[in-house]
Amino acid sequence: MPLPQIESVHAAATPTSTGARRHRSRLSSIVCWPFFIACVALIAFGLLVCWSAVQTDADYSFSRQLMGVAMGIVACMALWMFDYRKFGALTYPLLIVSVILILSPHLPFIGRTVKGATSWIYIGMQVQPAEFAKVTVVLFAASLLSRYNGRLFDLREYCKCVGLLLVPFLCIMTQPDLGTGLVYLFISAVVLVMGGARLRYLLITLAAFIATIVAVFAVDEVLKYQLPDGTWEYKLLKNYQRTRLFVFMNQDSLSTTDEGYNLKQAMIAIGSGGLFGKGLGFSTQSALGFLPEAPTDFIFCVLAEELGFFGVVVLIALYALLIGSAIYIARTCGNLFGMLIVCAIVGMWLFQILENIGMCCGLMPITGIPLPFVSYGSSFMTVNFAMLGLISSVYSHEMAPMTGAGYGSSR
Amino acid sequence: MTIALVAGIITAIIIVGLVLVYLVMRNKDASGASDDAFGSELTNIKVGFDEADGDKRADVKVSASDEASKAPDAFTKRFIALGVLAVGVFGSLLARIWTLQVKSGQGYVKEAEDNLLTSVSTPAPRGCIYDARGRELVGNETNQTVLADPTVADDADTVLRLSAVLGIPAPVVRQRIQDASTGAQSQRVVADRVRLRDIAFISEHPDAYPGISVQARTVREYPYGALASHVLGYTGTPTDDELLQVSSGRKVESTDAVGKSGIERQYDSVLSGDQGERRMMVDAKGDVVAVVGETLPKKGSDITLTIDAYAQGVADQVLADQIAPLGDIGTGAGVAGAVVAMNVKDGDIPVMASYPTFDPSYFTNGIPQDIWDLYNTEESNAPMVNRAVNGQYAPASTFKAFTSLAGLLYGFADYESEWECGGKWDGFGSGDVQKCWLHSGHGIMNLHDGIVNSCDVVFYEIAKAFYDHGPDGSGEISETALQDYIKNYHFGNPTGIDLPDESTGRIPTPEWKAEQWRNVPSEAAWRGGDYTNMIIGQGDVLITPLQLVVAYGAIATGKLLVPHLMKQVRNGDGEVVYEAQTEVAGEPDVNQEHLEFVRESLHDMILESHDAGPSFFLRGLDAAGKSGTSEHTDRQDDAWFVAYAPYDDPKYVVACVIEEGGGGAEVAGPIVAKVLAALFKGESEDPASLEVPKVPGSSGKSVAVKVAGGARTD
Repeated sequence: MPLPQIESVHAAATPTSTGARRHRSRLSSIVCWPFFIACVALIAFGLLVCWSAVQTDADYSFSRQLMGVAMGIVACMALWMFDYRKFGALTYPLLIVSVILILSPHLPFIGRTVKGATSWIYIGMQVQPAEFAKVTVVLFAASLLSRYNGRLFDLREYCKCVGLLLVPFLCIMTQPDLGTGLVYLFISAVVLVMGGARLRYLLITLAAFIATIVAVFAVDEVLKYQLPDGTWEYKLLKNYQRTRLFVFMNQDSLSTTDEGYNLKQAMIAIGSGGLFGKGLGFSTQSALGFLPEAPTDFIFCVLAEELGFFGVVVLIALYALLIGSAIYIARTCGNLFGMLIVCAIVGMWLFQILENIGMCCGLMPITGIPLPFVSYGSSFMTVNFAMLGLISSVYSHEMAPMTGAGYGSSR
Repeated sequence: MTIALVAGIITAIIIVGLVLVYLVMRNKDASGASDDAFGSELTNIKVGFDEADGDKRADVKVSASDEASKAPDAFTKRFIALGVLAVGVFGSLLARIWTLQVKSGQGYVKEAEDNLLTSVSTPAPRGCIYDARGRELVGNETNQTVLADPTVADDADTVLRLSAVLGIPAPVVRQRIQDASTGAQSQRVVADRVRLRDIAFISEHPDAYPGISVQARTVREYPYGALASHVLGYTGTPTDDELLQVSSGRKVESTDAVGKSGIERQYDSVLSGDQGERRMMVDAKGDVVAVVGETLPKKGSDITLTIDAYAQGVADQVLADQIAPLGDIGTGAGVAGAVVAMNVKDGDIPVMASYPTFDPSYFTNGIPQDIWDLYNTEESNAPMVNRAVNGQYAPASTFKAFTSLAGLLYGFADYESEWECGGKWDGFGSGDVQKCWLHSGHGIMNLHDGIVNSCDVVFYEIAKAFYDHGPDGSGEISETALQDYIKNYHFGNPTGIDLPDESTGRIPTPEWKAEQWRNVPSEAAWRGGDYTNMIIGQGDVLITPLQLVVAYGAIATGKLLVPHLMKQVRNGDGEVVYEAQTEVAGEPDVNQEHLEFVRESLHDMILESHDAGPSFFLRGLDAAGKSGTSEHTDRQDDAWFVAYAPYDDPKYVVACVIEEGGGGAEVAGPIVAKVLAALFKGESEDPASLEVPKVPGSSGKSVAVKVAGGARTD
């Protein structure tokens, strides 16, 4: 499928700046201080909460989490120093790497299936390649859209982009892992919007998306069949998936299902934290095992229970600072590719924060999406550090002399 | 309110902070942009120029400026959209969490506590029971108990060590620890009544016995054995029904001891005390994480009874000697019996004995099956029944005190009336001859002689007068005139004693008889013979010994009292919180002169009785009383005697019944005299100098009853 040639693309509509017009010290030319401070504070805060959450559960080890941080710092530094623009032309290689990563759990010998999802590979340790694919998906989507120079006005081209952006999502649904799939979709959507697609097309796509969801349910109604015990089972969206998705909608009758019980305990944990919480390490809901998966999916509840509304506000404020400074980096970025990378990451984080916290307090369906920088999980930590590295790379290379086939170089 | 305020301020600060951050960044952006302004515009122009491929040069400037104002605008809008998304996400999450944590936080705090806090109760020692002079009738024995946490069941080493020191097989130890009947989190009783040296060993080696604790619990202790056991009652674990009927404000668990009979049951709520409570934190699996609080159990209130242990002991022993001197029923005279005494001045019951009897200590740890079986055999003769309040007997001649008053009231007899007793009587001319107990006849008798000698013929004549004036005769009086008079003394009604399930006895009426014999019409008619039977306390009349005592109290003083066993309640701090008051149930409407006449006759009865009299004189008792021998066609006569003393200032009235004991004056009379003497001795002498025996429970066995020869001697 031919894409617009890199050479014909110019970062035309992007406000650009050159190093000459920035008066920054040597250090602040590679470190965006508000962003850096937000990152450090958030990581420290997240580690504190994670440490508290893993105290009472022998299945988790805090040193593993620290190892994830160490690996993350390495990845972050590497990407920071690396000129992100070198990824710009690698649209198809990035897509291929993404697909290989996402489909790798289907490989024989190293693929692992846990709880019905073929999402893990075992290479000395168990890792979730779809996590790492987030990085390549972000780069792939940004590089794809950056080719259109902020003016994706042609319907054919638009359809081509949407089709390519759907590839990672379709791949991950073979595992299946709806949570990560939704993250990919959200990354794609943000990149499409920020990449300058025509508003009309976007609205049509949104309508089509909603229509597809409705269609899935409608077709399911037709395809459903009765089990021997008289209950109905669906083909596309299984009953257990339905309960997970819809449990947050009828909160009066929680605790009838496992998900209902989980949600109820999560809300008790959050609610009982009150204004200032029970104190770090003094949670009862998570420490005594009432709260399921406390260090991973429901770690927000641990924070809310132990540090109360005060701690929640601190966390949200740190997130706001992180996202705000990232948006600032994107806005001031002179390169469409760099801007799209940052926006894609911002969108991803926003979605993860909304979904994870929303799930804990009954606003969103329950899916296994962790909370960035807080949830336990070394590969998740590493990936988020890689994202930080990408953003920093965008910031620090934005005005450096162009090398190779960069966007600005054609000028 | 203050919390909301603080929270509001914090949120305001946060919002202001966010706005500031935004402004600072905007400012920076703007300054950057102003720096950039030219450059970007220039670039745009250039780009615009580049893109306006093939357009006229003249248009370049226009289109360039158009692009310059338009293109950044398109991105600005999209960045604003991204910013709005971010603010929306954070705003909605904060709003939701504000609702959860601050607005409805208290509700969730409670739910979290419900999740993790649970409590189990520790049993409270029951209150003790004392006699009127302070002797402990029911106490608490310390019982060293070894308790284990539920998790010890999985600890094979500790189970083996426990097994070794306690001498209980290891599987039994494990089974007891696994028994969750007292609640999932409660500590389990591994063994009770453990030897002190074993307790010491376990407490001194806490490392070897993790999760094991030692507790001194209490069990009921009865220093005097079966003394007054029917009054005291016994305790046991509650039945399912009893658990359902627990009054509000009281907690009873299936392993607690509750009163099952007697005072233990009547005053269970007074004696039971307040259970202690261990509040514990549990985790999601239900395992105890920590004990967060413990309220100690509060001992129940102590009760002082009106019982005089010395006189009670005499009564219990005299009954045992009478009925089973060699241990088994039948080795003496009679098969069962009861003695009741009442203080006619205040209604106190100093003695209430019943035989056969039981030792309540058998029941403190659940009734052993062999005892239960033994006491349910026919030959054991129902040792659990308190015959003083639940034994119903024909009162026989003891009834004559009341029926003579009825005769005097209606004028069917007066002090001068005389009748001739020839030993038999057929006043109705029915051919169904009724006999006087003295078959040879008493000769000429007036009413006084009739009472003193218990001459039946005198009373047959009075009964006939009731019949003749009733509906079947002249119709001047109602057919229940005699019964109504007797009921003045509350026969047929409960006395109101503070014991559970008191029997009421029976005063037959035509109505009752018709109902009783409704399937045998030939027997259902009310006849003259029913009067003659009733007037000598035979036939269908039934009373309890307690009713007789209360009614004779009314003869002695003119007042019918409500008898009571509870004298005083003292709470855990030793303060008296309840003191029994004398309660008058009624004053029978009686001519004082008639009453005096009956009293004199009863006084003379004892003075002139060859069988009973000497027992009283020998003990220096000036008593008035009446014997009774209730006849049965199929078994031995029941012996009755009731008396009060001192005659001129009555204090105690005592009644005794011996089932199948023989003649009243001969058998029951001496028992009444002994108990009366013991009462006066018991109240006047120093309790320390009086020996109260430890009374054994009945053997539960019987030997063939000797059939006493001869007929009634009254």
